[in-house]
Amino acid sequence: MMHNPENLVEMRGIDKRFAHVYALKSVDFEIRRGEVHSLLGENGAGKSTLIKVLTGVYPKDGGEIYFDGKPVEINSRDDAFNLGIACIFQELSLVPTLTVAQNIMLGKEKAKLGVLQKKSMNREVSELIKRFDFPLRAEDVVETLSVAQRQMVEILKALSTNASLIIMDEPTASLSSKESEMLFRIIGQLREKGVSILYISHRLEEVFQLSDRITVLRDGQLVGVVPKEEIVPADVIRMMIGKELSEATASRPLKVSDAHTVLQVRNLTRLGSFEDVSFEVKAGEVLVLAGLVGSGRTEVLRSVYGADPIDSGTVLFEGKPYRHSVSTAIRLGFGLIPEDRRTQGFAPLLSGTRNVAVTNYDKLSRLGVVNAKKEKQLGETMVKLVDLRPANPTVPVGNLSGGNQQKVVLGKWLTRDLKVILIDEPTVGIDVGAKDEIYNFIEQLAARGVAVLLVSSDVAEVLRVATRILVMRNGKVVHEFNDGVVTQENILLVSSGMAEDHRTEAKE
Amino acid sequence: MKGKNLSVAQLLYKYRQLLILAALCIFFAAALPGMFFTMSNFRSILYSMSLYGLMICGATFPVLLGGIDRTVGAVAALSGAICCMIIVNSGYTNQGVVLGILAGVGVGMLSGIIHGVIVAHFDIPAFLLTLATSQVIYGLVQVTTGKELIVVMKPALFTDIGAKRILEIPVPVYVLLICFIVAYFLLNHSTYGRRIYSVGGNREASKLSGINVKRTTITAYMMSGMMAAIAGIVLSSMNQQALSYAADGYENDVLAAIVVGGVSLRGGAGTLQGAIFGSLLIGMLNNGLRLMGVESIYHNFIKGIIIIAAVAADMYSSYQMSGLKHRGGKKHPHKQAAGENQ
Repeated sequence: MMHNPENLVEMRGIDKRFAHVYALKSVDFEIRRGEVHSLLGENGAGKSTLIKVLTGVYPKDGGEIYFDGKPVEINSRDDAFNLGIACIFQELSLVPTLTVAQNIMLGKEKAKLGVLQKKSMNREVSELIKRFDFPLRAEDVVETLSVAQRQMVEILKALSTNASLIIMDEPTASLSSKESEMLFRIIGQLREKGVSILYISHRLEEVFQLSDRITVLRDGQLVGVVPKEEIVPADVIRMMIGKELSEATASRPLKVSDAHTVLQVRNLTRLGSFEDVSFEVKAGEVLVLAGLVGSGRTEVLRSVYGADPIDSGTVLFEGKPYRHSVSTAIRLGFGLIPEDRRTQGFAPLLSGTRNVAVTNYDKLSRLGVVNAKKEKQLGETMVKLVDLRPANPTVPVGNLSGGNQQKVVLGKWLTRDLKVILIDEPTVGIDVGAKDEIYNFIEQLAARGVAVLLVSSDVAEVLRVATRILVMRNGKVVHEFNDGVVTQENILLVSSGMAEDHRTEAKE
Repeated sequence: MKGKNLSVAQLLYKYRQLLILAALCIFFAAALPGMFFTMSNFRSILYSMSLYGLMICGATFPVLLGGIDRTVGAVAALSGAICCMIIVNSGYTNQGVVLGILAGVGVGMLSGIIHGVIVAHFDIPAFLLTLATSQVIYGLVQVTTGKELIVVMKPALFTDIGAKRILEIPVPVYVLLICFIVAYFLLNHSTYGRRIYSVGGNREASKLSGINVKRTTITAYMMSGMMAAIAGIVLSSMNQQALSYAADGYENDVLAAIVVGGVSLRGGAGTLQGAIFGSLLIGMLNNGLRLMGVESIYHNFIKGIIIIAAVAADMYSSYQMSGLKHRGGKKHPHKQAAGENQ
């Protein structure tokens, strides 16, 4: 293989397996000096695995990495750092109580006879700031800065170590559009100074606007590299989704149900999270809230459930308002499968039975005394209902696989008289087989007449289960697909805000 | 089927507390022939551990929630003082005893409720909060007693609590037994106990499952305050007097016993019986070491090492559970994947 001297990083034939599943299969990837290179792919395509291999977090199972034309072994973050590879995480590596200068000089402080040379360090950092014209002062304390400014400190920290590659993973996720513009300007300056940027974002608009080249991954494999001149958004999206898929599950017919309305949300607003959200969910319907991470979907779900406060608007259950609290919602027949099952879904040290029983003690107890026999029966029923493996309700849920953990979370609600189920990203980190089982449960619930409101960022999943789709962007519902056939492309284009021309209902 | 065929190692692990206790017994019995393994010595071990046991019956509740209550010693002093003062002021009548006990227990519960409300509503670490408030409570005791000993040598209704034996067994042991049964029932057979374990196991998941986390927290601290108050009254009856520093430092032994007994400091795991075993262990250790003539300063030294070992074992086992193990920890995903294939 000839090395192109323009390349700063070359990864050749990278393999990475988890157990026996390939997360990356023979992936080639290169970044040139002074270019902004974006990595695109759907959730689970292998983007973060590739970055983790590059930054030494995961060991690779095969392939070579060249940096500056020389073969290198990157076995730890330190190795990557020493080569000049820096990763910008959301405010993770900064000490909030120290100043900008102290943070940047952390670990490489200047001292004379053991006395810190504050002035000279501040001067050095000030010069660095001036060179890039950042709106910062060396003496600012980090905790008083905005998220965008903290990111700039991270970037400066990377630059102060002469990083030649800066990796930015979803850097705009928590920035306002004005702050994002500032970041893009900075990225432009870095490129001019010969620094390479590896950029990852779900926001396709940004990616297309910023990138010199785009590498597309799908299912752990390289699909192609697209230079700026050749970017056609619809084509790139097609590359991400894949042809084989698009024939099988990439489109779905939708319809408006004529069943009775179970849940009615009117002009719901929670300042800073979502605004003026209105929709209805009917019995037996699966209404999906699609959109990008951070578009306010989870927050809508939690507010409807009574877990988060609302500032204005109303939620009606079967035509009537209800007290805004979780216990009331549960009593009415609501259930929630939360976004992150580990932190919100189950207690890892407790058994499956105990986890499932938590939402059922109204039926399992009398005068506050638990009926242990009924409780045990419930555990056994749950195992059968969700086909738990191993089929043992006494195992601590923390010891189960991700898919089975999610089944337990689902099991909390299945024996109740459910009217509404709110489901948030139900299959993140779950293997394919268990995913299908979970979709089947969702369909069964809908068939029973339960109103299903589901949040998902996985477009294939949206099309697998939806009967109607709302797309949210920046806290607002921007589009509804309720009629005809919808494709993955339609949803992605609307979600990322590039679809003025796709706003009419997709019909075929 | 699966649960019954335990391997020897699993069996040993399951009954490790009993085994450690038995080993300790054999050691002291061999080292102290004719002194340790006697009825009267066991009676005295039970008598002295009854106070700790009573406090454990309450203090385990907040620990199961992932919190902690360091005020148990102070609350015991306060309730003892209040009980004794009421008895003195009533002219040593039986009504005074009843009133004193009720007031003492009431004050303990009130203290627990206040702590629970603060922990539930403000984001103050329970350790710091209760460390500070125990000083406040000790101050309160000194103010109420006027820094004086309150001696109560009558009526018998009061002094019998600490001094009398029924069927050769001291009354405080019965008090402990009753409190243990109550706490055990609450933790193992009531919906309240289920809520405690659930909230301790995962606060957020419990909230989203409709559990009133705040109320659960407040009542847990209330239980702790109540049991500490009962211990304080028993203690003042044993001493036939109330003094402000009577139960000073008890909280350390109580929390040590809870941790040694296998209750996780991060909440959600462990049992009351385990905690009581822990206190038996520490009580037996104290007793044996004293009989062997080991100076008391070394008692603390040895207890400290045991606590560190118990906490380290707890941390290590939950660290293994957490999936955070990094270096050489690639076994973990494999193990999980293997589980999936079953």
